[in-house]
Amino acid sequence: MSRLNKNKIIALGFKAVFWFLVLYFLYWAYSNGYFDILFNQTDEFMTLLRQHMTLVALSSTFALLIALPVGIFVTRPAFRKTEWFFMNAANLGQTIPTIAILAIVMSYLGIGYQPAVFALTVFSILPILRNTVAGISSVDSEVLDSAKGMGLTPFQILMKIELPNASMPIIAGIRTAIVMNVGTAALAYLVGGGGLGDFIFTGIMLRSNEYLMSGAVPVTVLAILIDQVLRVVEKVVVPRSLRTT
Amino acid sequence: MKKMTFALSAAALAALTACGGNGDGAAEDSLGQITVGGKNFTEQFVLAKITSIYLEENGYEVEEATNMGSEVVREALVNNQIDLYWEYTGTALVNYLGQEPLAEQEEAYDIVKEMDLEENGIVWMDMADLNNTYTLMMREDHAEELGLESVSDMADYVNDNPGELNFASDAEFATRGDGLPGAEEYYDFSFGSDNVSRMDAGLTYQALRDGDVSVAMGFSTDSRIVNFDLKNLEDDQGFFPAYNAAISAREEVLEEYPELEELLEPLAEALDTDTMTELNYEVDVEQRSETEVAREWLEENGLLD
Repeated sequence: MSRLNKNKIIALGFKAVFWFLVLYFLYWAYSNGYFDILFNQTDEFMTLLRQHMTLVALSSTFALLIALPVGIFVTRPAFRKTEWFFMNAANLGQTIPTIAILAIVMSYLGIGYQPAVFALTVFSILPILRNTVAGISSVDSEVLDSAKGMGLTPFQILMKIELPNASMPIIAGIRTAIVMNVGTAALAYLVGGGGLGDFIFTGIMLRSNEYLMSGAVPVTVLAILIDQVLRVVEKVVVPRSLRTT
Repeated sequence: MKKMTFALSAAALAALTACGGNGDGAAEDSLGQITVGGKNFTEQFVLAKITSIYLEENGYEVEEATNMGSEVVREALVNNQIDLYWEYTGTALVNYLGQEPLAEQEEAYDIVKEMDLEENGIVWMDMADLNNTYTLMMREDHAEELGLESVSDMADYVNDNPGELNFASDAEFATRGDGLPGAEEYYDFSFGSDNVSRMDAGLTYQALRDGDVSVAMGFSTDSRIVNFDLKNLEDDQGFFPAYNAAISAREEVLEEYPELEELLEPLAEALDTDTMTELNYEVDVEQRSETEVAREWLEENGLLD
């Protein structure tokens, strides 16, 4: 018991130091005028922020709509053999650099929003799919047997046993995918997709910390915020008995 | 193990000495050794090749060190790792000398020539009539249809038909004072921020060709302007800064080989923007080797005996 407390205190100490460093960094950047762009070009910033969030929202929704059903499909006993194919396809989607996907789809979808959303979707599928498959596969076979013995239909088993038991890893996968997506969406600039990447790349090209920070810090904050929101979702969705943290 | 190391170092030493010997031997019948530098894009590869072949044919022993970024190649010149390379007046003026960009070609060149010699001991030889500056482009048929020849024409059109034309730019051009914001102020028009798409610089040509945008920024000697049937809108009021190419060399190199400046003069005289665009086209689109293109150009201009 005392050991647990000690660990807790150390963890708390680390947290405090971490937050202090973050706040100090923000103060330092602010006092150097690195966020001036946010104040001088507020309209422009809001437009880019809105574009960025739309990119993330659209591509994450598409990824979710594809990865969840596919994950459920490949874990049905009758279609188990297709898992290999879908997992490798998703793997490929994540292995090809996002920039390359952008370059390839650009020839078909032109420039702007569409290729960016497409590339981000492809990029986000794998973490969700992998965790969905792993989560459903990890459900205890004896639990499934007893459910079958009780006379539940396969659909009932999926909805009442498998998905609730797998909800923890599935949501973890969604969190990973979306948080990475927020950062990757900055690459949309390259194909004229807009978003906060415009500020980041302007900063890199002009060697301007003002632009760089005004783009990069909001992206980071956005990622943290979304992660926190999803943490709340996790608390609501995951059954109490399955929570590990 | 120790023995082997010794043997290896002995062999290496022998090889080094041999190389040194060869170098000295060759230097006896050559006028001297010159290292030609260059940056990392087609135009620079061609310029470096032209210069190397020309110097070789005139009796020098030439080494090439190309494929460097702007900052790197300049650093190499300052640190004696290369002897000369083709640089652009605007780049030197803004990036190396920290001055405001200038549209007037002669004036930009004069300032660079004077300041760089005084501050850094770098000599600028004669500049070519080759200006690789920013340009605003349209599809040739589209420009014809709307009757637009120059940036002024376009500015008038944008003012009469707000929101009709959209623009592709890279992040740098969209932000810099010598880029779009400056041009909009100078020519008194505005695309409006909703009509400007920012993207990677190389993509603007494709975006324009595919009709995703109606006007785009480009670099005036890029061969895609020819290849994609694009048209440079004439900068009729002279807003865009001058980026004339000229050979820059260290003072000591010219003290050692005082005849170089006069020898290289015909190169700058014969090069201009259209010629360079054509040479870039040969390499980028026709897929010919830089060496072949460079040699052919030298022969056509009677610069090889």
